[in-house]
Amino acid sequence: MSDIQVLADGTRIIWAPIQKRRPFAFLTQLLGEILVTLGVILMLFVGYKTFLQDNIVGSSHSDLAQKFTERDGFVDPALVTQEAEIFARMYVPRFGAQWTRLVAEGTRWHPVLNEIGIGHYRNTAMPGEVGNFAIAGHRGGFGGAMKDIDKLVTGDRVYIETKNTWFIYTFLETEVVKPTEVGVILPVPEKLDVARPGGRYLTMTSCTPIFINTDRIISWFELERTWPTSAGMPRDLKIVRGSR
Amino acid sequence: MYSWLWRKLPGNKFLKVVQAVVLTAGALAAMYFFLFPWLDVVIFPELETEI
Repeated sequence: MSDIQVLADGTRIIWAPIQKRRPFAFLTQLLGEILVTLGVILMLFVGYKTFLQDNIVGSSHSDLAQKFTERDGFVDPALVTQEAEIFARMYVPRFGAQWTRLVAEGTRWHPVLNEIGIGHYRNTAMPGEVGNFAIAGHRGGFGGAMKDIDKLVTGDRVYIETKNTWFIYTFLETEVVKPTEVGVILPVPEKLDVARPGGRYLTMTSCTPIFINTDRIISWFELERTWPTSAGMPRDLKIVRGSR
Repeated sequence: MYSWLWRKLPGNKFLKVVQAVVLTAGALAAMYFFLFPWLDVVIFPELETEI
């Protein structure tokens, strides 16, 4: 049925009925639905990467660190040669009272940062040594070991548990640098105002801004004291973690 | 595609809704447990310089 419209001057416009089946209508609709579906799947994937995978990997790293016992045995830092050898467990109360991660040799995604958590830059100092004990961790995604690196403030401590000794470091300062400014992990770190030869430093490195990763965020610590592993967990850390 | 699927589902409207929900949940589970972990490695191979 066609619609007839009469204008003021008598002109008659005959509207043709809308075609029921346009050619390719079926195909274009199918294509549209497939594209919309792919778009939704991509958004779900972003959600998976940002939240789900981050949490799953994070709690598996945390479990790994908590269940690591004397029996598994930390490799003596002085004897570490192979990539992914686990030689320390790290506690950072600022990252959470129960926060703990294992530290392994090397900084590649696989098999260290994604599977274990924290990686030690090869050929930098070991915990407690003169020089720079430099470590890396993911900022967001894959457990985001150093997610809260930007929250560190004066007075914050890092506890490094190794085979025979605990090393307790205290926070100095944080700096954001370009990925090319690798001098920040030198034995006398560049950009660290108070750096002096002979200092015993710990350097945390991670990506920033979170999830954008165009720069690097660097936090320096200085050795404060040591504590024998045989004497158990340092008392102040025990209090922070609430007994055990 | 979706309207075709809707017509193919048996039963009344209520049953169709139930089946659609079950199918969607199945698709989501397949994505989260199989598709995404695989896609992750394909899209993000190791980037040595980014942590």
